[in-house]
Amino acid sequence: MDAFSHLMGGFGVALSPQNLLFVFLGVLIGTVIGMLPGLGPISAISLMIPVAFTMDPVSAIIMLSGVYYGAIFGGSTSSILLNAPGVAGTVATSFDGYPLARKGQAGKALSIAAIASFIGGTVGVIGLMLVAPSLSSLTVSFGPAEYFALMVLGLTAVVSLSGGNVTKGLISGTVGVMIALVGIDSQTSVLRFTFGHEELYEGVEFLIVALGVFALAEVFAMLTRRGQGAQTGAISSLRLNKREVKEISGPTGRGSVLGFFVGVLPGAGATVASFLSYSLEKRLAKDGKTFGKGNIKGVAAPESANNSAAVGSFVPLMTLGVPGSGTTAVLLGALLVLGVQPGPLLMTEQPDMFWGVVASMYIGNVVLLILNLPLIPLFAKVLKTPQALLLPLVVVFCVVGVYGQSFSTFDLWLLIGFGVLGFLMRANDFPAAPLILGVILGGLMEKSMRQALLISSGDLSTFVTKPISAVLLALAAVSLLAPVFGQLRRRRRGRALPQDDGAGQDDPDEQGAKVDANVTRP
Amino acid sequence: MSRSGPRAVRAAVAVGSAAVLLAACGGGGQQDAASGGDWKPTKPIEYVAPAGTGGGWDTLARTTARVLDESNLVDRPLRVVNKPGAGGAIGWSYVAKHQKDPHKLFVTSPPILLVPLAGASGQTYEDFTPIARLNSEPLAYVVKANSPYKTFGDLAKKLKASPKDVSVAGGSGPGSLDHVGLAGAVQAAGADASKVKYVPFDGGGEALTSLLGGHADAAVAGASEVQPLVRSGDLRVLAVSSKERSPILPETPSLTETGVDYAFDIWRGVMAPKDLSESQIAYYEKAYAEMVKQDSWKKASEKLGWTDAFMGSKEFGTFLDEQNKEYSEVLTSVGLKK
Repeated sequence: MDAFSHLMGGFGVALSPQNLLFVFLGVLIGTVIGMLPGLGPISAISLMIPVAFTMDPVSAIIMLSGVYYGAIFGGSTSSILLNAPGVAGTVATSFDGYPLARKGQAGKALSIAAIASFIGGTVGVIGLMLVAPSLSSLTVSFGPAEYFALMVLGLTAVVSLSGGNVTKGLISGTVGVMIALVGIDSQTSVLRFTFGHEELYEGVEFLIVALGVFALAEVFAMLTRRGQGAQTGAISSLRLNKREVKEISGPTGRGSVLGFFVGVLPGAGATVASFLSYSLEKRLAKDGKTFGKGNIKGVAAPESANNSAAVGSFVPLMTLGVPGSGTTAVLLGALLVLGVQPGPLLMTEQPDMFWGVVASMYIGNVVLLILNLPLIPLFAKVLKTPQALLLPLVVVFCVVGVYGQSFSTFDLWLLIGFGVLGFLMRANDFPAAPLILGVILGGLMEKSMRQALLISSGDLSTFVTKPISAVLLALAAVSLLAPVFGQLRRRRRGRALPQDDGAGQDDPDEQGAKVDANVTRP
Repeated sequence: MSRSGPRAVRAAVAVGSAAVLLAACGGGGQQDAASGGDWKPTKPIEYVAPAGTGGGWDTLARTTARVLDESNLVDRPLRVVNKPGAGGAIGWSYVAKHQKDPHKLFVTSPPILLVPLAGASGQTYEDFTPIARLNSEPLAYVVKANSPYKTFGDLAKKLKASPKDVSVAGGSGPGSLDHVGLAGAVQAAGADASKVKYVPFDGGGEALTSLLGGHADAAVAGASEVQPLVRSGDLRVLAVSSKERSPILPETPSLTETGVDYAFDIWRGVMAPKDLSESQIAYYEKAYAEMVKQDSWKKASEKLGWTDAFMGSKEFGTFLDEQNKEYSEVLTSVGLKK
């Protein structure tokens, strides 16, 4: 097989002592930076770019790629331990990861995240190796209409992220979309909702919203609880038993495949993949109701998807020279400076480069697993930090993460504002997850819709006459209506069997992912 | 490469600025003797890229800083600092706050004219001192390899006859680079630029993807951006926007050759805060004039698809005035002038 011999050549490149060292360095730095709340792959790569420019191009790219997927790999740590996601792709991981940690199962959650990340990453690399050239046609088949449909499908996850109260979930999601509208409108260059602040011209950075409504709001909530629910739980339960392994194998496998294909689409990437995977698993699972309260499948699904998507995003980068995300745009910039022009000819003109990077990813993923697993008990100990120390630390990390991105004190006020908003939402049982989903998907949805309508000269039928778009919209409709039918059916059954009334709507335990995170334990 | 690069700035910058601060403390007492022709920087120079890392401005800043440092053309090191946001306006307002400060420079290109013209910046190019223009790169008008349009004339004819049937993708917002480069050319070819369906994407990459997938009928992007897809045979270039052919796409006719009297360049250069002294301007002007002669600069330019187009401070200033007038006319014709 041709790909096989190329891959062997690639391993020849990647296994040279020098490149091995750079893979190791790359993933180490990436995973460490990724673990810090507020710092994600972009920060990690940018930090390493000046170093990379002094290196041989192949080694430099091997290292920078390592930094990238290393940061995604490590990104779940702060989501799980502190409810402070540093990257959009790991937001979904915090939905179940953080409740698990609060139940004293941080070790388990981190192990699952590491294993799912490893599998997702590896599946992604296999995909990249086998089908990358043919996948570029999938990449280009997504135009504005198709993206719009994909974003609509993504937003239907609001229903499954709303916990018990769909109305409050929808309100929360709508506010999220509204936040996404702030800034210079990309289609007309008109300023919207900026109130004369230059800082708002490019919109509200996702990270500020996420750190505000998740991490900071959690800090406020803990303060009002006055230390109740402080961590004492055992964190020794690092190992998974057979049943658990079996339980997560399905979500991890599906998440990996789904993640790769979504990752291949520029603009969609790890975030959409992780949300889609999470909400898919929640629907498929028999114990879907316990999602958001610390279900291990809720960690495995998004983690496998986001790592696989991170690798998938190399497909448009390498085969078309098109960056699919902010991170790959930075990576592309670095490649150009190093004299590598990614594009359709990269694989034939510089096979060493392409296959060397692919092979290094296999190695990098193994290294990440080996690096991360032994450190988990150590990380989990973070939770043993007395609250009087932990809470200020979380605040410091949030502030550093936000300020380090923009050097703007305005953004810090925004952070506090969103913290308060998150706290108030939580106090009134509004789930925060739909809000964040709205912020992430809303902007892209609006932009694609308007691009599509511009191209079709305002003809709305463009969304249903294009096959991919039509299928995605149909899926969205099904996923919106399915729970309604399900409820009707249950209600009918409920009438027959009055004792079975826990279904859906009124279950107080289902009031959103975060609210019930503070269940008191013995 | 995405011109509207990601907003995030990185820890690297923090390191850089920390160094600048330290250095500033060290050399704080000294005052610059602005008299005479022998001014020299007395502390490290803060070199602002008004965008995040990885974008066009950042690449320009880092590449020039490296060449200047390596060949010892400037007496103090240049520290690249990213000030992303608002299409450059955040960085510009930062530099504008440091009037007369000879230890600040920033990299620049057409948005310094276009963004203020669109009313989205508190500063205009006149609030800064032009130091030098360094290079330029034309835009390329591209279609898919199997498109019925063979020449720019074909596309212009169609745009004239039925503008509703053709959508043209570009990588920047309306009224910015790609749009102005398209509108000006279309106007010069006799069609109504305000009727052309220009579809803005986030960066040339996305615009080209949309063209490849057949979602848009044509696209306009930087010549170096389209080059790999042209070489692979996926795209066909109808014309480049410069007066002469571009070394990046030597086989493609220029607009002038196709009979359209219009030229548009993505020029790149360096500016400083307002009111620098003659000797300070002369110092930097000379450094950049020497820089473009260095081998390492030539090598980097070749990799990045830049064509040298050096202009000194005065000439660059006049050039900016002319460009500003021209952009202003194009923007008025498409109804985007504020």
